[in-house]
Amino acid sequence: MTQTATSRRDFIATGLAAMAGAGLSAAFSPAFGKAVRPADKIRLGIIGTGSRGAGLATLIHEMPDYELVACCDIIPENLQNGLSLAAQNAQGYADYRKLLDDKSIDAVVIATPLYLHYPMAVAALQAGKHIYLEKSMTYDIPQAIDLVKKVKASGLVFQIGYQYRYYGLYHRVKEIIKENWLGKITHFECQYNRNSNWRFPVKDPKMERAINWRMYREYCGGPLSELCAHEIDVVNYLTDSRPLKVVGLGGINYWKDGRDTYDNIRTVYDYPHGVKASVTSVLSNAYNGYSIRILGDKATVEILRDKAFIYPEITNNAKGVVDGVTGATIAATTQGKGVEVKFGKPGEADLEPTVFALKDFAECVRNKKEPVSNVETGRDGSIAIHMGNAAADTEKVQYWKPEYSA
Amino acid sequence: MKRRWHHVILVAGVMSILTSALRPARIPETYRITGQAQGTTYAITYYADQKLVSKTQADSIFKSLDASLSIYQPGSLISRFNASQEAVEMDAHFANVIEKSMQIYRTTGGLFDITVYPLVRAWGFGVKATDAMPDSAAIHRLLPCVGSDKLKMEGLRLVKTAPCVQIDVNGIAQGYSVDVLASFLEARGIANYMVEVGGEIRTKGRKLPGNEPMNIGIETPSANVFDAPAIREVISIGDGAVTTSGSYRKFRESGGMRLSHIIDPKTGYPVQREIISATVVAPEAITADGFDNALLAAGIDGAFEILRAHPGMEAYLIYRKPDGTVADTASAGFGRYVVAER
Ligand SMILES: NC(=O)c1ccc[n+]([C@@H]2O[C@H](COP(=O)([O-])OP(=O)(O)OC[C@H]3O[C@@H](n4cnc5c(N)ncnc54)[C@H](O)[C@@H]3O)[C@@H](O)[C@H]2O)c1
Repeated sequence: MTQTATSRRDFIATGLAAMAGAGLSAAFSPAFGKAVRPADKIRLGIIGTGSRGAGLATLIHEMPDYELVACCDIIPENLQNGLSLAAQNAQGYADYRKLLDDKSIDAVVIATPLYLHYPMAVAALQAGKHIYLEKSMTYDIPQAIDLVKKVKASGLVFQIGYQYRYYGLYHRVKEIIKENWLGKITHFECQYNRNSNWRFPVKDPKMERAINWRMYREYCGGPLSELCAHEIDVVNYLTDSRPLKVVGLGGINYWKDGRDTYDNIRTVYDYPHGVKASVTSVLSNAYNGYSIRILGDKATVEILRDKAFIYPEITNNAKGVVDGVTGATIAATTQGKGVEVKFGKPGEADLEPTVFALKDFAECVRNKKEPVSNVETGRDGSIAIHMGNAAADTEKVQYWKPEYSA
Repeated sequence: MKRRWHHVILVAGVMSILTSALRPARIPETYRITGQAQGTTYAITYYADQKLVSKTQADSIFKSLDASLSIYQPGSLISRFNASQEAVEMDAHFANVIEKSMQIYRTTGGLFDITVYPLVRAWGFGVKATDAMPDSAAIHRLLPCVGSDKLKMEGLRLVKTAPCVQIDVNGIAQGYSVDVLASFLEARGIANYMVEVGGEIRTKGRKLPGNEPMNIGIETPSANVFDAPAIREVISIGDGAVTTSGSYRKFRESGGMRLSHIIDPKTGYPVQREIISATVVAPEAITADGFDNALLAAGIDGAFEILRAHPGMEAYLIYRKPDGTVADTASAGFGRYVVAER
C-alpha cells in the first residue's frame, strides 16, 4: 500500500465521520468530494469474477481510470480468471469481507448472484467503499427500500449496473421522444427472449446450484430479474417514472428440467397516464431476442441490441383538405419502412455501453456526483421486478405501495 | 434523337384522342396511380371516362428516367459520365435535363450547378452517407472540379473539361420526371390531371365531373424527418407546375448545427441561408424545380432578384428571422394562386 493511498483512505474516514451527523441532503457535499483526486487511479476490487465480473474486468483493464487491485470469488477457477485481468500484484480473496477490509481499496464492483447483492452492498457501505453493483439491485422489496436509506446515509457513490442509461442509443431515443417524433406514446412492448435452456455446464454436480443459480428462486427472480430487468429500467428511464401496478402470467412449460424459476413470463405494467408496458421473456424462441418497441400515435421506435429504427405512421391528414402537397421531398424509406436512428457523436468510438457506465462511475467517484443509475432508480427497477413476479405467482394485480418510495 | 422522342408521344396522343372521340359520352371518373420511384413516392391522378394509363406504364417511364439520370444506378448514363474521363453520348432525357440545367446555371449566376456533385459527396449527401466531415483542405481540393462551365454539349456528346468533373441532377430530375409523365398523360388524351413526384407537382384542367379546381397545399417545414406534412398555404395554379425545395428534411447535424444538403458551388460549403423552403410556380416542373434550389441558396434578397429577371415564375418563401421565428413572403404575382386564408 502506498503512502498516497493511505492518506486518501484517511480522508474518506474523516469524510464519513463528518457525514454521520450531516443528514441526507449533504450526502454529496463538496467537502466530501476529494476522496479520490482526479489524477489518481481509482483502486478497485471486484467481488464475483464469474462471467459478468470477468467481462467487467476485461473492460476495466483497458481503462486508465482504474487499477484493479483485488478480486474475490468462491470458485477458485473464476478467481484466477479475475486475477489474470487485474494488476500485477493484485490480491485474491475467497471471503469478500477480507477484500472489504483492505483500506487501500476505494471502490468495489459487485457481480455476484442476486441474493448476495444486498448483504455484500451493505458490508461494502460499512467499509466505506464506493460501489458499482450489478443489476438487478436487490433480491426483494424490503432490501431495496433499506438499501436506499443506507446508501443515502453513507454519502458514498452507489451505481447500479444498468449500462443502457449510459448508452448514446438510449440518450438519442429519449431525445426523440422529447422532441415529440413519436407523438403521444401509449405503449411499450419489451421482450427479452432466448432459445436455450439458459444453463451453464456443470462439471461437479455439487456445483449445480452455485453455477445455475438463475434456475432457482432461492437465488434470484428468474428471467424477470436477470433478463427483463434492463428493459424495465429502460422504460422507467424513458418515461421518468415507475409502474403503478402490474398483472402477469408465468410458467415452466418448456424446460421442465428441475428449475423453479419461470421459463416464460409475460407481464403488463401500468405506468402514469395510462401508458402500458408489456414485459416478456420466453426461453424457447429467439426471434429479435432483445427488443423494445415504443408505440406512439405518430411513429414507432424499435430498439434492438445496438441499433434502433423508427417506423412513422402513415398519416394522410394533410391530404384530406387538398388534392396534393408540395414540399421538400420525403424519402420513401420514411414511409412504412424503418429508418435507422443515428446516435453518438461523429468520430466517437463505438464502445460497449458498459464502458460508458464505468467511465461515469469513475467520474462520480472523483467528483462525488450522484450516478444516473443510482440507488433510487435501482430500487424502482427491483420493486417493479418483484411486483411482476408476484403478479404471476399470485395471479393477482400488484400495486405500487406508497411506502415503497416514501 | 430528342426530337424523335417528342414525335412518338405526339403520334400516340393523336391516336388516343381519335379513339376516345368515337365512344359514347360517359361520366368521368377519378383514376389514381401511386407508387414509389426515385427514392420517394409518386401519385398520378387523372379524370377521364376510362382508364387510359396503367401503373406499369408509369413505372416503365421511371425506369427509363433512372437508366439515364440516376446516380444511384452504377450503370446509368449519368454514372457512366461521372466515371468517364471525358464524355458520354446523351439520350433524350439526359440531353433535356443537361440543357435546362446549363440554362438555369447561367441565369442564376451559378447558384444552380449540377457539377456540385463532388462536394455533395464530400459532405455526405451522395449515394453513400458518410459520418465524417470534410475539412477545408478537402473542400479546397474539390473546388477546381466544380462549375458548369466545365461542361460542354457537343452535339449529342456531353464533354467534361477535367476528368474529376461529376454531375448530380437530383435538384432538377424530379421536376423533369413530372413533365415527362404529364406529356405522357396528355399524349393519351388526358386533359385533367395532377402528377406529383416527391412533392413536385404539375396540374392541368379541373377535377371532373364537378369541375372543381385542384388544390395544392404548401407544406409547413416540419421539425423533424418524420413529421407528417402540415399545410401552411393552399394554392391552385391552373395549368402549370409547382415545386418546393426545403432544407428541413434532408440535413446532417454537426456540433448542434444543421448542415443543409444544398451546397454552395462557389464556397464549397452547405448553404446557410434564412430560407427554409422555397416554392416556385412555373409553366413546367423542370423550370420550377431547377429554380427552387437556386432561390434557397440565394437568400431572400437574391431570390427576389432572380424572380424579377424571370417574370414567368412566381415564388413563395418560408424563412427564419434572426430572432428564430418563422415567417413567409412571396413574389407579387403569387397572390393570385392562393385559395384560402389559413
Ligand atoms: N449489466 C449486465 O448487462 C449484466 C450482464 C450479465 C450479468 N449481470 C449481473 O451480474 C451478476 C452476476 O452474473 P454472472 O452472469 O456473472 O453470474 P456468474 O454465475 O457467472 O458469476 C457470479 C460469480 O459470483 C461468484 N460468487 C458467488 N457467491 C460468492 C461469494 N459469496 N463471494 C464471492 N463470489 C461469489 C460465483 O462463484 C461466480 O463466479 C448478476 O447480478 C447478473 O444479473 C449483469
